Amino acid sequence: MKVGLLSFAHVHAAGYATVLRGMDGVEVRASDPSAESAGPGEVRGRALAERLGVPYAETYEELFDWGPDAVVVASENARHRPLVELAAKHGVDVLCEKPLATTVADGEAMVAACREAGVRLGVAYPVRFSPAYAALRRAVRGGGTGRVLTVAGANNGRIPSGDRAWFTDPELAGGGALMDHTVHIADLLDDLFDGAHATEVYAQTNNVMYAGEVDADTAGLVTVRYDNGAVATIDCSWSQPAHHPVWGGLELQLVGERATVEMDAFGQNVTGFDERSRSPVQLPWGTDLDSALLRAFLFPETAAGPGEGSGAGPVPGGGADGADEAIRVADGEAGLRSLRIALAGYASARTGRPVPLR
Amino acid sequence: MPDMDIGLIGAGGIARAHLPAWVELGARVTVFSTDDNAGKLAERYGAHGVVAARSLDELLARSTAVDICTPTHTHREIALTAIRAGKHVVCEKPLALSVEHAREMAEAAEAAGVVLFPAHVVRWFPEYAALAEAVRDGAVGEPAVLRFTRTGAYPVWAPWFADAALSGGILLDQMVHDFDFAQLLAGPVVRVHAQARGHLEAPAVEGCVAASTAVLTHASGAVSHVHGVWGLPDSAFRTTFRVAGRDGVLHHDSAQTKAFRVVAQGERARGEGIPATDLAESPFVAELRDFAAAVTGGGTPRVTARDGLEAVRIAVAAAESARTGRAVELETTHHETEEVAAR
Repeated sequence: MKVGLLSFAHVHAAGYATVLRGMDGVEVRASDPSAESAGPGEVRGRALAERLGVPYAETYEELFDWGPDAVVVASENARHRPLVELAAKHGVDVLCEKPLATTVADGEAMVAACREAGVRLGVAYPVRFSPAYAALRRAVRGGGTGRVLTVAGANNGRIPSGDRAWFTDPELAGGGALMDHTVHIADLLDDLFDGAHATEVYAQTNNVMYAGEVDADTAGLVTVRYDNGAVATIDCSWSQPAHHPVWGGLELQLVGERATVEMDAFGQNVTGFDERSRSPVQLPWGTDLDSALLRAFLFPETAAGPGEGSGAGPVPGGGADGADEAIRVADGEAGLRSLRIALAGYASARTGRPVPLR
Repeated sequence: MPDMDIGLIGAGGIARAHLPAWVELGARVTVFSTDDNAGKLAERYGAHGVVAARSLDELLARSTAVDICTPTHTHREIALTAIRAGKHVVCEKPLALSVEHAREMAEAAEAAGVVLFPAHVVRWFPEYAALAEAVRDGAVGEPAVLRFTRTGAYPVWAPWFADAALSGGILLDQMVHDFDFAQLLAGPVVRVHAQARGHLEAPAVEGCVAASTAVLTHASGAVSHVHGVWGLPDSAFRTTFRVAGRDGVLHHDSAQTKAFRVVAQGERARGEGIPATDLAESPFVAELRDFAAAVTGGGTPRVTARDGLEAVRIAVAAAESARTGRAVELETTHHETEEVAAR
């Protein structure tokens, strides 16, 4: 299988390249022709491809001429659309970085283009493939938690400045922390609640931490109401100190009528301290989320059944109705739904009022 | 601790937490309640000279200060009676069910020249005291985003908690602790949005769950998330916070405190409503000592009636938001402006 990697703009691109390069039966080739958003000293294009050990195409056309079976789009958020449309034009399945787009119009056009071309559009939400999320999903869908009352979630990280500084450019990123970090938990709840819809969003943002340094919002709280009765508040802030040894994390607590449960998507670590480098040690164990996401997108037919929780494919469930359904890559429609929540969050932050959805 | 004659009003859960603290501080305590629990409580502490009064008047006659540990809806009337009698007052949080009542109480105390001390005991919990001191000293820079959670078993031991008309519900009764703290750290609150879910009415029985989420916007631009849960019977009492700014982050999770843990005990333990805290000095002792010092020394205690009023203002706005679905705007008061300047 041939897989193309379009653009190195996103921080995850290098990780995808490394995973794809090591995947049996996969040939990978990358192209990164428009690196003008790169900061000074940032390695992009052919130089990065060589460092990662992946073959390189000078242009996207050259890459598509190679005949990929699927492509991964990792350009700046506002530049997803032309690359997804290019993939659709060439009849190639496409996995697009999150958020799907920075406007609903772009997102809808991308979904329509892929549907018309008969190609699959996936959105890169790797946390769906965390074993912690799978356990939470079994607990909720299997009825163990009872009706969900509240969810308190936090997806915090360091401010993405320095390399890949476009993340803090509201034009290219479609916003700041709220756009970057609300969508992961919004997507988990979209899958978790299995058909329930977000009906209203309230959000407040600020740039108390980096005023004068970046234009984007760097902290935010987003409250989402769902038509199954649940309400979730998400802390989407870039509030992990810039030099903290850990990049950040994603955690949530879910209060149900019959149980309260918590997940930490990055909570599987051996920890310690290395005297030689005088720094803390964190050794993650278990599933590599990017790898699980890419495998699930590239090999959907090998979807694992219950009891085969190898982490290599969709994560199995267990228990009652819906709990067994394999976890799938978010499709374009799901990507649009989490995008709409983030955009409604910005509308609410501007007005100070809750904003209805749909 | 100077000589004090304390009138403890009420003999329920919080009175049973305050009484040993008063005894430890060496106060002479008279207890009164409208049920027969005051007599039983006084008897249990009889060796420490604790006696029961037959009426509120008798209690007032025996006391220089009172400690109101009654259900919230009775605070105003008892506090105003005590203030009229010239007594200093400790009043369990929240001060009252409405902003008007809380303000009336604060103003009455100011006019009478007595201390009205809202018992926001979280200010004396050691983790929170350490947080407040560090944030004041600039440990995180200017606070940008704050999170607080508070979980305990649903308070079914007294029927009035579940009745929002008597307790104000989870937002006023429980989350008011964290509203007070958010405001202490990040300054005046200008906007509140809240949602409440689960069992929000009386009667409540064991197994009921109520949960609420609130987002506060501070005048500084900072935002605070407060998540409160009245949970299942096995809910261990648990608090968490995370306070972040440009210069750092501070966090705490009482479930992660490793100083002492029960590892196994044969069966799943029941949760608590009021936390057991014996890893440091009892926050109740520290709290009431601060009140006593303010009464006898005339200084400003760590928490004032105005702080209690502001906490009620935020909680009442949150309850209104939860009821209407709208975000509620709060006007910045003169007092708050002074507080910020002082900070």
